[in-house]
Amino acid sequence: MITLERDSLVFRFPEVHEQAQTEVNFQRTLRIPDNGKHYPLPPGLGTFSLKHLEDFADRVPEDWRERGGVMMPLYQTEAMWLSFCGSSRRHAYPFALKIAAGKINAVSGKSWQPGLDASKHDYIVVPEQPWLDGFCVAKDVVRQFVAMPLGSGYSVEEQITGRPEHGGLQIIAYPMKKERYEELARRRAQERELAGAVRMYMSDGVGAVMRSRACAAAPARAMGLAAGGRMRQQIYADPYGIDAWDQSVSSRCFVTLVDSVQWQEITGEQPASRPLTASDYSKAGLPWFDYYAEAETLAGAKELALVKSVAELAAEKGEQVLGPDGEVEPGNVVQLGPKTPAKSKPVREGRL
Amino acid sequence: MVGFGDYIRKAREALAETDPRFSLRQVAQRIDVEPAYLSKVERGLVPPPSEATIVRLAADLNEDADVLLAMAGKVSSDLQAIILRRPKQFAELIRQLKNAPNHAIVKVVREVRDGNW
Repeated sequence: MITLERDSLVFRFPEVHEQAQTEVNFQRTLRIPDNGKHYPLPPGLGTFSLKHLEDFADRVPEDWRERGGVMMPLYQTEAMWLSFCGSSRRHAYPFALKIAAGKINAVSGKSWQPGLDASKHDYIVVPEQPWLDGFCVAKDVVRQFVAMPLGSGYSVEEQITGRPEHGGLQIIAYPMKKERYEELARRRAQERELAGAVRMYMSDGVGAVMRSRACAAAPARAMGLAAGGRMRQQIYADPYGIDAWDQSVSSRCFVTLVDSVQWQEITGEQPASRPLTASDYSKAGLPWFDYYAEAETLAGAKELALVKSVAELAAEKGEQVLGPDGEVEPGNVVQLGPKTPAKSKPVREGRL
Repeated sequence: MVGFGDYIRKAREALAETDPRFSLRQVAQRIDVEPAYLSKVERGLVPPPSEATIVRLAADLNEDADVLLAMAGKVSSDLQAIILRRPKQFAELIRQLKNAPNHAIVKVVREVRDGNW
């Protein structure tokens, strides 16, 4: 089952295990320049608002109502990333998640199919993968998720399929099998005990990481995700193996992306203001992030590597869709990694 | 039942074991209160702080804001607004569910509807 709790999608499988729960939310962020350079990870500037689509059934098109799920406001050319944080990330129940934009898998570049396919590397594993910022175009490189109107030809879906049919984001979650989780939980408990014993002898907190605390004609108003600038992000291979996942159960959600300008007409609520530019953020010396873990990473999808970015396509079409990027030099880069203290999670938060 | 002050002191001290940023002084600074005041709250010498401060404290300590508010004898203002819109129905719903096991409560939570796509 999926519930909507404080702008997060909460996936629960009480029939598999009491602890089988994970969360996905969508973070507002800076749009990084699309200039061929590779940038670190931009900050999270707060979660996007999510609403049950059926609550506004009389104000949205019929095809939106049919697919159900939730909706979320984005400005044209606004960037976003998906956060898979749970309340206690390191000890969270593991899940295999498939993420697609316009029903094109953001990791494998293939068309949407139910089930997990290890040979195509078409899923990510949480909590190992804390975030997903874009389409996996090469090993350790993603192209940022950037919203563009469906039907304008910019979305990855339109470039791969030739049609502006679906737009939005699609997520399906498969929990780890109960017996595999229980085995993992025992191992984690042993590791915690061992770590506690080591701390008794090492009062200087070795291993602690300092960190900042604090996802034909198109239907009217629909948005799709296009490929933006390049950034360094590792997409981790499945460390547990395909047999670890209980594919007899799953929950899926369609996230319809609504142009922020129309959001108010549909919901009566004002959308958040546009985020500041990467240039202004960088000039203020605010933090960017790098996340690194010693784990096998995926090579990137050929199909996605061939997709043209918004800037490339705009130049070809002679259109002006992106504002000037200005100078962006991420000087303050915070290193994050999985070795954070227990009961905490690495947070990418821009302090404004 | 563990008191509010005692609970947050234990939660903060557990984090401080591995991260010095969870000292009393630094947590107080981040949630915008005086260290002496936070110390008194932790020792139960003063009543729990305002809703806004408890929400900031929950975020800083990675705790659930609703749980901390309940321990402080408060209900968040957004929940109050929801109950006030339909007080009779929500009061009855809560009474009906008071002894229900967790899995039964999860079942009455509204699910995101999946359609055809």
